[in-house]
Amino acid sequence: MMMNNDFLSLIKESEALNSSVFSLIRLQLLSSIADVGKDGVAYRELKAAFGVSDGALFTNLKFLEETGYVTSKEITLEGKKLQSYQITQEGLLAWEQIKKWLKKFVECGGEK
Amino acid sequence: MDLDKVVACLKEIGFEPKINDFQDRLVIQKVVYLLQRKGINSNFEYNLHVRGPYSPELTKEIYDHKRSVEKLETSSKLNNAESKAVEEFKELFSGLKPSILEVAATYSYFAFERHQDVMTALQNVKRMKSFYSEAQIAVGVSKAKEFLFQPSEKELAEMKEESKAWQDASLKNMRG
Repeated sequence: MMMNNDFLSLIKESEALNSSVFSLIRLQLLSSIADVGKDGVAYRELKAAFGVSDGALFTNLKFLEETGYVTSKEITLEGKKLQSYQITQEGLLAWEQIKKWLKKFVECGGEK
Repeated sequence: MDLDKVVACLKEIGFEPKINDFQDRLVIQKVVYLLQRKGINSNFEYNLHVRGPYSPELTKEIYDHKRSVEKLETSSKLNNAESKAVEEFKELFSGLKPSILEVAATYSYFAFERHQDVMTALQNVKRMKSFYSEAQIAVGVSKAKEFLFQPSEKELAEMKEESKAWQDASLKNMRG
């Protein structure tokens, strides 16, 4: 009975989530960018960490920017201009909501 | 968390950061991490992030106390052992080059915190910092070993020789 209640609340809560973020690369990007808050993450660091093509990385970052979850700006490091991505307040709230839901989802379907 | 001690270290190093500058914040992150590994514990918790070892609490603290960090205001005094460690750091990492500090901190995390063998730690650094040249990685790794590892005299001389060769090659390359 408890399981059913949890399951139903999971379904209900999932309706409030932005399902277009639910791809591995988008979740990884959102998580990594949220982790470093104000400091942001350089494009080259994301590329090195996830080993994805420029096309895939650029498209998914652009999606997160258009959704309002991240912003980008130019930074200078050792004289080099780099593109850096920061989480927005909206992005942080979305990420917290997703994390909370995923935790509940895993626990609900977990082994007894 | 002891931001006062962090500021005391920065003061001893002679680094006056501008907190709004990304590069200066990155330098603080790596300096504090490497000094903590050396035993100057300012109690900031570091975890592995996309940038290498990173402490979100430290960033928050330096923003919250921006003025005192920039003006190097502190009531903390380093003891003899801590001052000696900072002196050693200053000598090894003179110029506080972010690329070298990033590589050194990331290698230290894998080799000395996770206790990975040399090859595995190096491979992980190369993967995470693939945008840096072989020379930058070699210099950073060598400096991390020299700072945190307790080598024999012979091993130390070999490492210095290895680091010098890469630095000479890097300089030659830059001069074109």
